[in-house]
Amino acid sequence: MDKIARIDMGAAGGPKVTVGDLGEYAGLGGRAMTSLVVAAEVHPLAHALGAENKLVISPGMLSGTTGSMTGRLSVGCKSPLTGTIKESNAGGQAAQVLARLGYAAVILEGKPVGDDLYKIVINKDGIKVIVDNSLKMMDNYLLVAKLRQEFGDKVAYMTIGSAGERKLLAASIACTDPELRPTRHCGRGGVGAVMGAKRVKAIILDDAGMKMRPAKDLDKFRDANRLFVEGLRKHPVTGEGLPAYGTNVLTNVLNEAGGYPTNNFKSGQFAGSSKISGEAQAELEIKRGGSATHGCHRGCVIQCSGIYNDKDGKYLTKQPEYETVWSHGGHCGIDDLDTIAQLDRIDDNIGVDTIEMGVTIGIAMDAGLIEFGDKAGAIRLMEEVQKGTPLGRVLGSGAGITGKVFGVERVPVVKNQALPAYDPRAVQGIGVTYATTTQGADHTAGYAIATNILKVGGDVDPLKTEGQIELSRNLQIATAAIDSTGMCLFIAFAILDQPETFQALLDMLGSFYGITMTGDDVVALGKKVLSAERDFNTRAGFTKHDDRLPRFFYNEPIAPHNQTFLMKDEELDEVFNW
Amino acid sequence: MSQTIAAQPPGIPDLKNFTAQLDVGQLSSFFPIFQKGVTVPAIVGCTLKSFLCEQMAIPTDYVTERITTIFLDNRPVDDLDRTIIQEGSRVTLSAAMPGLVGATMRRGGFYAALRQGISHASDSGATEGTSGTVRLKLFNLLLAELGPLVLLRGLILERNELDELLHILSKLPDNAPDGVEKIFLSVSFSGVTT
Repeated sequence: MDKIARIDMGAAGGPKVTVGDLGEYAGLGGRAMTSLVVAAEVHPLAHALGAENKLVISPGMLSGTTGSMTGRLSVGCKSPLTGTIKESNAGGQAAQVLARLGYAAVILEGKPVGDDLYKIVINKDGIKVIVDNSLKMMDNYLLVAKLRQEFGDKVAYMTIGSAGERKLLAASIACTDPELRPTRHCGRGGVGAVMGAKRVKAIILDDAGMKMRPAKDLDKFRDANRLFVEGLRKHPVTGEGLPAYGTNVLTNVLNEAGGYPTNNFKSGQFAGSSKISGEAQAELEIKRGGSATHGCHRGCVIQCSGIYNDKDGKYLTKQPEYETVWSHGGHCGIDDLDTIAQLDRIDDNIGVDTIEMGVTIGIAMDAGLIEFGDKAGAIRLMEEVQKGTPLGRVLGSGAGITGKVFGVERVPVVKNQALPAYDPRAVQGIGVTYATTTQGADHTAGYAIATNILKVGGDVDPLKTEGQIELSRNLQIATAAIDSTGMCLFIAFAILDQPETFQALLDMLGSFYGITMTGDDVVALGKKVLSAERDFNTRAGFTKHDDRLPRFFYNEPIAPHNQTFLMKDEELDEVFNW
Repeated sequence: MSQTIAAQPPGIPDLKNFTAQLDVGQLSSFFPIFQKGVTVPAIVGCTLKSFLCEQMAIPTDYVTERITTIFLDNRPVDDLDRTIIQEGSRVTLSAAMPGLVGATMRRGGFYAALRQGISHASDSGATEGTSGTVRLKLFNLLLAELGPLVLLRGLILERNELDELLHILSKLPDNAPDGVEKIFLSVSFSGVTT
């Protein structure tokens, strides 16, 4: 990964490709690369769908190596949904292939004049930008099937569906999994709309003739990777729970804790939770000949995904994740896994964020468009999005806009991005992260539960009230760092409990780059990324008043704990005070 | 896992006893009702640790290392020795969970502060126990691991719960009860050591 490709989609005479060295971005990958490029090169007041915005695509620092769990891809830009800086990441094969091709980043710049649609082919011979108007308004499954006829099965695809072409604010970018299904999405923040605005429909990544990226110290890297994998396999979360049930194993637990937002955040418990739990989902998948254990990219040893077949045993979609099952399930009062799986399929196909769309449909239910629990109605609304009707365009623009159009007061968004599946009134510390993250409400912004090992911010007494602010700060720093490595965030569980597994991760990074990595280095990287993101947002006009939850979280107690969000504004303002 | 002593049916009038021997393949038929919760006989007024380790006969190291997430009446529990179960208490057991919130819910975990508003406050003073019942839920990995033990010890099923169970069981026991409102059910599985 020793080069950066810049593709000026708006260049006179047609798109122009320039490949250069890394320059000031040397040594960066993933979120560190995307955020530092956007912060430095995008005007903070630029229109997110305009020529001034840039779409930065970057594999992680260890992507394309033989290291396990290294297949996360980061996509960054100014978000059309939030107006903030955005990093959205996904699994799938794209990161590994792009890294092996030697690109630390591919940056889409400018905006073409006219209505032509483009595909970009990246292989060992270089980069070609080709007009292909036959792809117009194709959705992801059909689109990838068509591309496979031309480019075959030994490549990775990044695509947008009709939602991205329509520049809907919930639009995602799909990355294909090892079976070439468009099921892994850079979902949050409308990154698909930015790709659509640049008129890029598909990026084909072909690493034929390329080799794995070699480590500086091959033996040490191999040994560290072995220890890292052993650590993941022996841990009960990464070695047992996630492979058996996937992330949806959280449904029962969150519901029991009274933190499972139900019927658009009216209650913390859903009566139908056991019907859509990870346990029920895994059993159904196995019974129908699918699988409850599947990796989103080669080299994954956790295998938290699965294959969801329909009643006839035919592939329908990948295993819907916890967030999807919640947003289309409990949030909408729907307790039927088949309906949720169909909605997940539609989301992936047209290319929209499952959290944003599920939350939006729940708001539409609250507005009275359809009743809570109306399974057919929910599918009908998603079909409106697919058709691009006026109603569909409103819904596809996300929860905030839908709430405004239909006069709904209870709209669970921060910086206009829909909240994920944890009610901040029950789990107050999560609310701190939702409110203050640079990305808009995002559960993964403070997800890297390894702060005690990293010693981010020193030793914190987690049982003190002020610990919640410090913990959120430290979690966000640790997450920004891990998002830069290309590592799946789920490795954090094993790191949390097993110091030797964290050391193995440091050794992988150190031996690959021929440097000595310490926890302090990781923390410094995380702070650097967050500082750049905060600075961009400030220049874009965001203030501390944007770091707040919607008022209903402060005013409406939620059952069963009958609790409101209690964190004071002054406390929230301390999160980034380091 | 150590041998479990079947609980004595509690002194509920007209409670019919029913014992079944099933194939191990039918164990998963009980998972849906375990997730919703089942009523089990218990000595109440004692600590949660006593309930799990002494009454349920779950080995202490299993409780400590495997059952990392425990709820009492929707509240995450941190200290088993200072948590008292009462008549009708709802006890939920889970293995380690993914995600930040999964880590947050862990018993005595590093991130417990993030959910301090809903945590179970420590109780003081276990009393001399009395016979009663507790509502027990099992989640995820514990379904298969603790399910046989709970079933062997016995549980009390209301009519609707029994109907749901009989609907799911692929092979009905020959002497399945009929026409009763509530039963005490004890189940053993061939080939399963509890």
